[in-house]
Amino acid sequence: MNKDCHDFAFTDLDDTQELPLQRLIRHWMNERHAPDILPIQAELLAGILDHIHKQSSTVNLLRTDPEASGDEHFRIMLAQTEIERVKFVVRSYVRTRLSKIEDYARWILSDSSLHGRLSETELKHAQSYADLLTTHFEESVLKALPGNQRSLDDKVIPPMVTPPDITKPVFVLARRDCPPVYLPDGTKMEMKKGQISLTQYRVIDSLLFQDHVELV
Amino acid sequence: MVQTYHQFCDLATQLVTESRRSTASDTLFKYNDPLVRQIIREQRQLEAFIQSVLADSPETFTGETPALLIYQTTILRNKRCLLAYHNHRIERLKDMYWAVGGALPHLLSSADIRSKLSPLEVDFLKKYSSQVMDFRSEFSDELDIMAGITEPPKDLNVLVKVIRDCGVIQTELGSIDFRKGQRFMVRRADIEHLIVQGYLEEVQ
Repeated sequence: MNKDCHDFAFTDLDDTQELPLQRLIRHWMNERHAPDILPIQAELLAGILDHIHKQSSTVNLLRTDPEASGDEHFRIMLAQTEIERVKFVVRSYVRTRLSKIEDYARWILSDSSLHGRLSETELKHAQSYADLLTTHFEESVLKALPGNQRSLDDKVIPPMVTPPDITKPVFVLARRDCPPVYLPDGTKMEMKKGQISLTQYRVIDSLLFQDHVELV
Repeated sequence: MVQTYHQFCDLATQLVTESRRSTASDTLFKYNDPLVRQIIREQRQLEAFIQSVLADSPETFTGETPALLIYQTTILRNKRCLLAYHNHRIERLKDMYWAVGGALPHLLSSADIRSKLSPLEVDFLKKYSSQVMDFRSEFSDELDIMAGITEPPKDLNVLVKVIRDCGVIQTELGSIDFRKGQRFMVRRADIEHLIVQGYLEEVQ
């Protein structure tokens, strides 16, 4: 990593200066890139949704105001566009999680230590989706098989409950100087602030959970 | 019974090949009920083989019946292929469901698609749709999580051409009666679902 890159000044990597929207975008990108389901940013999400709600009502109020000048109408339009764009990010974040939850529903349910990463609504959806899929398998295949072939938990390889592929390669950007992590071959890797690496997801997952790094 | 296959798992391989072809050609094939039934028949037959071997052999496993191992492996493989086939179809159906913005009636009203689904798959879609609707209702009215996530919105308004009549729609500008051939400048969020379902077309 050369000096120029450091000078490129990742000042926005500073937590205190990060706006809620920037945080949301960071978590959204993390979620999009990570193979595993990440902890839900419930507080952040609630704050943003609340803000969208307030902004929309203000905009609606201003829009119907006959006193508003052309200039103000222009500003309102900008605000509305921005709201739509924020909504897009929220939607994409929620949907990315939803798709992972469905893909790994049975895996998530089998390990209660993962439940904390999901919101209550998401956990409910994981449960009902897993039930739905199991029912579908039972009705269309298993029911017709001889009794001792009906289980969905055969001890076979590959296992019947699919976990996420944590060996997937990811691009990771250090937001600050990171504690060392170990690569699959045993070598130690210490990332400096602003450094970007390509590595397996499982190598850096603990750094990601502590917000030391972000996926890009 | 005329054997139409020569080796165990041939049929299951056919079934999985069909899934692969479906992905490769990006099309949904008709649910292959005859083949699924045939494989299930093979499974019962295998089970009967196992039972007959067991009946002839001594109580404890002596390693003198390697046939058992072959039957058991075949059973597991067939079962896995059957499940993989069904799972693959479900994933495809879900993709189709989200591609039309969750408009299930729109999807199921197409005779072409309907003819390719098994009754159980139609059931699945209906229940899935209601689960997703439950999930959606947890969010406020302002944020519709079903709306598109492929293109971030660049403009508030969009110029659309009406492809098919879709009746009166409530928009920010009041209700508009969309009739074929007309053009409107409308709020994107109000009519996005109609673009997705092919009623309106964006004019570039």
